[in-house]
Amino acid sequence: MKIFWNFGRGFMATGRVSKMVLFLFVVNLLFSLLLAIPMYNSLKDSFGRSEAGSRMAKGFDYVWWEEFRDEAKGLETTFSPSVIGKGAILTNLENLIQMRFYSLPPILLVFGLFYIILHTFLAGGILSIFNQDAPRFTMKEFIQGAGSHFLRFFGLMLFSWLFIIAIGVFLQEGFISIISEISSNSLSEVIPFYLRLGFSVLTFILLLFIQMVFDYARIKVVLEESRNIIKSTLEALAFIFKYPFSTFGLFTLIFLFQVAVTVIYILLKEIIPQFNFPWVLAAFLIQQLFIFAVIWIRCLLYSSQMQLYRYMK
Amino acid sequence: MDVTLNTETQMIKASEILSWTNDTRFPANELRFHLYWNAFQNNLSTYLTEDARRGRSVSGLREEDWGYCRVESVKIVKNPYFADYDLMPFMEFQSPDDENLFDQTVFSITLPQEVEPGQTILLQIEFESKVPRPISRTGVYKDYYFIAQWFPKIGVFEDGRWNCHQYHSSSEYYADYGTFDVKITLPSSFIVGGTGEHQEIIDNRDGTTTHHFHQHSVHDFAWTASPRFLEYKENFEFAPGKITEITLLLQPQHKKLKDRYMNAVKNAIKYCSLFYGDYPYTTATCVDPAYNSGSGGMEYPTFFTGGAYFLTRKGMSSPEGITIHEFGHGYFYGLVGSNEFENAWMDEGFTSFLDSEVYYKAYGNPLYSRSYFGIPFTFKNVEIPIESSGISGHRQTYNMDVMQRFAWEFLEGGSYGANSYSKAELMLRTLKRFMGKDLFSRMIKDYSQRFWFKHPRPQDFYAVVSEHAGQDMSWFLDQFVYGSEKLDYAIGTISSQRVRQPEGWFDGEYINRQIKDSRFQSEVIVRRLGEVKLPVDVLVVFEDGEEIRETWDGQYRWKKFTYQKPSRISKAVVDPEFKFVLDINRTNNSMMRKPDKLAPLKWVSRWMAWLQHALEFFTILGG
Repeated sequence: MKIFWNFGRGFMATGRVSKMVLFLFVVNLLFSLLLAIPMYNSLKDSFGRSEAGSRMAKGFDYVWWEEFRDEAKGLETTFSPSVIGKGAILTNLENLIQMRFYSLPPILLVFGLFYIILHTFLAGGILSIFNQDAPRFTMKEFIQGAGSHFLRFFGLMLFSWLFIIAIGVFLQEGFISIISEISSNSLSEVIPFYLRLGFSVLTFILLLFIQMVFDYARIKVVLEESRNIIKSTLEALAFIFKYPFSTFGLFTLIFLFQVAVTVIYILLKEIIPQFNFPWVLAAFLIQQLFIFAVIWIRCLLYSSQMQLYRYMK
Repeated sequence: MDVTLNTETQMIKASEILSWTNDTRFPANELRFHLYWNAFQNNLSTYLTEDARRGRSVSGLREEDWGYCRVESVKIVKNPYFADYDLMPFMEFQSPDDENLFDQTVFSITLPQEVEPGQTILLQIEFESKVPRPISRTGVYKDYYFIAQWFPKIGVFEDGRWNCHQYHSSSEYYADYGTFDVKITLPSSFIVGGTGEHQEIIDNRDGTTTHHFHQHSVHDFAWTASPRFLEYKENFEFAPGKITEITLLLQPQHKKLKDRYMNAVKNAIKYCSLFYGDYPYTTATCVDPAYNSGSGGMEYPTFFTGGAYFLTRKGMSSPEGITIHEFGHGYFYGLVGSNEFENAWMDEGFTSFLDSEVYYKAYGNPLYSRSYFGIPFTFKNVEIPIESSGISGHRQTYNMDVMQRFAWEFLEGGSYGANSYSKAELMLRTLKRFMGKDLFSRMIKDYSQRFWFKHPRPQDFYAVVSEHAGQDMSWFLDQFVYGSEKLDYAIGTISSQRVRQPEGWFDGEYINRQIKDSRFQSEVIVRRLGEVKLPVDVLVVFEDGEEIRETWDGQYRWKKFTYQKPSRISKAVVDPEFKFVLDINRTNNSMMRKPDKLAPLKWVSRWMAWLQHALEFFTILGG
C-alpha cells in the first residue's frame, strides 16, 4: 500500500508542476534542435532536387540511404533505418547497456555529456520544487534550487560514474571473457545468446539500481542539506536496504509505467503513415508528447521517491 | 579412394588410385599436386603468412590443432603405357607463386617418361592427413568434422604447363573434372554427408561404418561427419521427369528452420535450372554448419554449406541467401569450372549475380533487419531492392584494383571481395539491363551450358557476350574487367524560361513587344562525372505530362538538350530504367524543378525523436 500511496502522492505533486515539466521538455527540445538543424541541412543537401527526396517523402529509399551512409561523416553516421520507431528505443537501450559510447560521433558525445551535466544542474531545481509542501513551479525558485545543489549533485554524478565505469570496464570485460570462453566451446549459438542476454539484463538492473541509489542520495542532500556526498550515498544505500520492498517496489512500478508508455508510443508510431505534411506533423506531435511523458515520468520518479523517503523517515 | 577417419587421433589415412589422362595437345613430363592442408602445418606457410599480414594471425594453437597432408607413397601402376614405378624419390615441393621455402602446398613429381597427349597414367597414392582445428572452412570442432581440400589434388595441365598455384589466404581452387569413388570408414555413431551419391552404408560390425560415395563429372570431393546432425531427405522434381534427391544435414538447434532450408534448396535448383540449364546431378546435399566450426558458406560439387541463426525471422534473407549462393556455385565453379585462383570474379561474381536473381525471384525484397541484444528485428517499411546488392562495397573500393587479378594480388581483402563478388555482380546486372532481359538470359544460359565441365577464361565469356549481342562487346566489358574507373552519370542542370521575344532594332525597325510568349525554352544538361563511357538514356518530363526520351552516346563530358514547349520541365532523369546499377551515385541521376520539402522535414523529425530520447535516456548516467 505504501508504494501506491507514495506513487499517488508523487503523481499528484508532478501533476501540480506541469509547467516545470514543460520547461524541462523545452530544454530537451532546444538542445535537440541544435543538432537537428545540421542534420536537416545534411538531409536536404543530400536529397537536393532528386527523385530520392520524393521517394523518401513517401517511404524509405534504401538505395539513397546506402549512398548517404557510405559518404556519411559525424552526426550523419547516426542516421539509419534503425532510428525509426522501435529501433530508436532499442538502439538507445543497447548503447546504454553495452556502453557503446565509443561508436557515437564525437559531437554527439560532447553534447550528450553536456546534457547530462545540465540535467544534473536541473535535478537540483526539480527536487527543490518537490521539497515544497505544496509544489508550485516558479523559475526563480527552480534556478535557486538548481544552483544551490549543483556542486554536490555534480560530485554525486562523478561518484556514480565510478560504479558505472566499474560495471563497464571490470564486470563487462570479465563477463565477456567468460561468455567468450563458453561460446568458443559451444557447438550451438543458443547458450551464448542466453548468456549475453542475461548479462545485458543484469547490467541494466545494476544501472537502474545505481540510478535509484543516487536518486535517494540527491533527495537526502536536498532534504537534509547533507554536504558529504559519500555519506549521503551510503545512507541512501542503507535506506534502500532498510525498506527494500517499498523502494524497489516503487521504482519497479514507475519503471513499468515507463515501459507501458513506451510500448504505446511505438505502436502508435508504427501505424502512422507519414506521406504528407499533416501526417508528418501528427507524428512529430506524438513524438513530442512521448518525450514530454518520459520527462514527466522522470519527475514522477523523483517526487514519489521523495514522498517515500519523507514517509519512511 | 579408401579413407579411414580415426576420431581419437583426428587422423585420416587413405589410399587412392588416381587415373589421369592427358587430354591436351602437349606432353607432360611431370605431375603437380595441391596439398592444401599443408598450409596449416606451420605459421610460415604462404596462407598463414598472408593471413597474418591481414591481421588474422593464428595464435595459441596446440600441437594437435595444426593440420597437414603427408604423402607416404606414390607409385605408377602398370597399364598399357607405363610400367610399375616408385615415384617417391622424384617428389619435390614447389612454390611457384612466391618461392616460400616453408610452404609445402604444391608438389611435383618428375616422371620417368612423358605422358603423351591422349595417354593415361595410373598412380597409387597413400597419404595421411591430420585434421586441423577449423580454418578456411575445414577441420574438426569437437565431434563435427568438415573435411575439404584434404587429399593430394592433381593440378590442371593446360597449354603445356601445370596450373597449380600455392594455397593463398584469399584464393579458392582450380581442378580438373573426373569421377570420384570414395569409401569413408568411421565410427558408426556419425552421420555422414558428402559429394555425390551416397550409394552404400556398410556396417563393419566393429563399431565402424563405411560410407560409399560415387560421383562422375565433378572436380572435388568434400564430406562432413557429426553424430548430432538431423538428417532429412526429399526427392524434388524440378522439371518434368527431372528429380534430384535433396539431403539436409541440420544442427539440432535449427530444427525449426528445416522447411526454410529445404525450400531454399528447392528454389535454388528450380530457378538455376531455368536460368542456367537443368541441374545435371542426382543429389544436392546442404549442410547446416555447427557453431564455431567456421565451415559455413562454402561450396563443393553437389555439396555445400549454408548458415543460420536460431532466431532468424520471416523477411530476413537467412538462411535462404547463403544457401542459394552456395548452391549456385554448383553452376559457376561446379559446372562452369573457372580458375578461382586467377579469375575469381568468374565464379564469385557470377554466383553473386545468380543468388540475387534467384533470391529476388523466389522471395521478393528482403527487409532491413538489425539485431538488438542478439535478437533480430525486421523493419517492415524498409525493403532492400536488388539494385542495392553489392553497390556499397564497390563504391568504397572501385579505384583500388581491377577485377581481373590473381586472387592474392588485390590491395586488401575488402578490394578482393568487392571486385570479385560485388563489381562482377553489378557488371552482369548492368549488362543484363543494357542488353535486354531476353537477350541476356539466352546469352548467360548459353555461356553456362557451353562451358559445363570446362575451364573458361575471360575471353571465352567475352566471345559469348559478343556473339549474342551481334557486336564486339570488349568496349563495354573492358571498362569493368580491366578498368578501375567509376561510372557516374548525372543531371547537371534543368531550366525553363519563357521564350524570349524580339526586342530592339531589327533591320532598321524597332520592336518592343510587351506580350509574353506562351512557350518555354527549356534546357537539360546531362553530365558524365566518371570515366566509364556508356550510351545512356535520358527522360525529360514536362509539367503538362509530356515525356521525351533521348539517347546520348555518353562520350563527351556533357550533353545539352533544348526544347520549346508550352510548359516547363518538371524533371529530368538520366538512365531512367536504372540500367546502370554500377553507377556509384544514383541520387544525382535525377533532378526535379522543385525539391521535395517534406522529405528532410519528415526524416529529421524522426531522427530527432531518437536524439531526444537518447538525451533523456542517458541521464541515467548521472542526472
